[in-house]
Amino acid sequence: MAQAKSQNKILTGNRLRNGETVYYTAAGVWSPYVAEAKVATTPEEADALAKIGAAAYAANLVIDVNVIDVTPGGAANPAHIREVIRATGPTVRADLNKPVTPPQR
Amino acid sequence: MYIYDKFDHTITRERVAEFSQQVARRLTGELSEDQFRPLRLMNGLYLQLHAYMLRVAIPYGTLSSKQVRKLADIAKKYDRDYGHFTTRQNIQYNWIKLEQVPEILAELASVEMHANQTSGNCIRNVTADQFAGVAGDELEDPRIISEIIRQWSTFHPEFSFLPRKFKFAVTGAAKDRAAIQFHDIGIQVVKNDAGETGYAVYVGGGMGRTPVVAPLIKPFVARTELLSYLEACLRVYNLHGRRDNMYKARIKILVRDLGPAEYARQVEEMWPLTRAAGVDIEPAEEARIRAFFAPPPYEKIAEPVASFVDARAKTRAFAQWVQTNVHTHKVAGYGAVTISLKPIGGIPGDASSAQMHAIADLADTYSLGEVRVTHVQNLVLPNVKQADLFAVWQRLGEIGFAEANIGLVTDIIACPGLDYCSLANARSIPVAQQLSERFADLDRQHIIGPLQIKISGCINACGHHHAGHIGILGVDKAGQEFYQITLGGAGDETASIGTLLGPGFAGEDIVGAVDKVVNTYLELRQAPSETFIEAYRRVGATPFKESLYGRR
Repeated sequence: MAQAKSQNKILTGNRLRNGETVYYTAAGVWSPYVAEAKVATTPEEADALAKIGAAAYAANLVIDVNVIDVTPGGAANPAHIREVIRATGPTVRADLNKPVTPPQR
Repeated sequence: MYIYDKFDHTITRERVAEFSQQVARRLTGELSEDQFRPLRLMNGLYLQLHAYMLRVAIPYGTLSSKQVRKLADIAKKYDRDYGHFTTRQNIQYNWIKLEQVPEILAELASVEMHANQTSGNCIRNVTADQFAGVAGDELEDPRIISEIIRQWSTFHPEFSFLPRKFKFAVTGAAKDRAAIQFHDIGIQVVKNDAGETGYAVYVGGGMGRTPVVAPLIKPFVARTELLSYLEACLRVYNLHGRRDNMYKARIKILVRDLGPAEYARQVEEMWPLTRAAGVDIEPAEEARIRAFFAPPPYEKIAEPVASFVDARAKTRAFAQWVQTNVHTHKVAGYGAVTISLKPIGGIPGDASSAQMHAIADLADTYSLGEVRVTHVQNLVLPNVKQADLFAVWQRLGEIGFAEANIGLVTDIIACPGLDYCSLANARSIPVAQQLSERFADLDRQHIIGPLQIKISGCINACGHHHAGHIGILGVDKAGQEFYQITLGGAGDETASIGTLLGPGFAGEDIVGAVDKVVNTYLELRQAPSETFIEAYRRVGATPFKESLYGRR
């Protein structure tokens, strides 16, 4: 999967307590579902996300915090295959994969 | 098997208690991640793409059935119902929660297991020949000295902060099934001219971005002097190994830069000091440890075993499985069974909790309660009566682990790769699965003969690609997964490093490329008895390059 040219970025990390891959949302919480991530579309917004990530790391909520590229397709479409796999799970265990959006509640 | 004494129990329990407190302090924020990270790594706990990963040590690959059941139960209770057996003869759990790690370590300690020194810049878990104690060609059970090294290296204060990680492997036979020359220190049990048993010591081998076949540094060290010699080897490395550049910090770089002769000289100079310090094992203690590995009570069985001969004659699939998966046992009437964790299209090295339980039951019923892990990511039932082999084969078939492919083209090593690992550049497992499907025809596998494919998802080479007859290395090329092919590697006593053939192949093309390599071999071999590695060593890379890239 080629990296698409896009300025769009989202903030991700792993939850300290259980290691779960999570994404920072517009609601100001960390969600396991990549499609819920808040998308930064400008460098200024990306910087703001990085600051939020640093604060969450300092507050011991998340670790391995990174601002990552997403394609113009939106938050559910990380640009790099590594992040696609992080978002949904190992490609060799479909039974263990998670959806990009929350299940219907 | 070795059984913990009060010291082993005490230090294991104390470590669980200590790390449990550290986890608690991390969860409250008293410890920062920067402070906690080296502590968790010392306890085998990594962060991977989807969760924490816990690597549990299986010293020299030996497990009791009780331990296998515990590993299965941990997989079910704390993970997602499976574990992954690795090239270091360990098991990894992929979906671990930090807050549950203290409980898991306590459960492991209850069966004399732990995750100590499975990460970090220390002496890691010692690996050994999976047929230790049952192979007819060994001089001595390599687990005896492996256990002595385990005890010596556990929490060794001088070697807890080495320049880089440090791995030992031991073989008791001239036939190397433990890839000793690809380890920081490889040890081979040998006899000297006087007929005394001792050890040949290879130092400075390794894989990673700088693959090196270890040179022989000391042809013979007496049995009672090995620990002081090893301590001298480590001390020279600890003093002079590079700490300024992690890519040049392994002992292989030091030995290469000094030259093997100069490194050996410095070790000799150091040795009297370590010997005088009294680190060598007392004969009585050596005898105590040796006794744990005394042969179990085998029955006297005359060969041929009629029922076994009959079953082979009547059932072709069973006969094929015996041919590849049953290793000759040193005791008449027995065989050592390799359980293939490589079902066609499966994930190399993965086993579910139900499969692990079934294997533990088989071990109790048919193999004197013992299981081994191989560095090729398979399991072994070391002590099966030939009369029981048919029943074992049938039961393995029921759990999907009766593939008759040991040593053949579908017995593939694959690291977890980008499906799990935060260091990986490309996926390994899907390539292994597709190759397995491509070569699924067992008759064709037998026609191809012995052929080892090893796949790594990054240059760290956990999948041993440098030592593969066909090695595959996944790389990231502008965000896309590409795969390079190396040929001619070998991890046995004829150890060699594979040669890169040329530019890499896209994910959709790699299986076809390997198929071409195999077909080229079939066309150029002089006889069916000439194996892939023999043919490659005879003709070199050129015919294979031409078949993949055309004449240049």
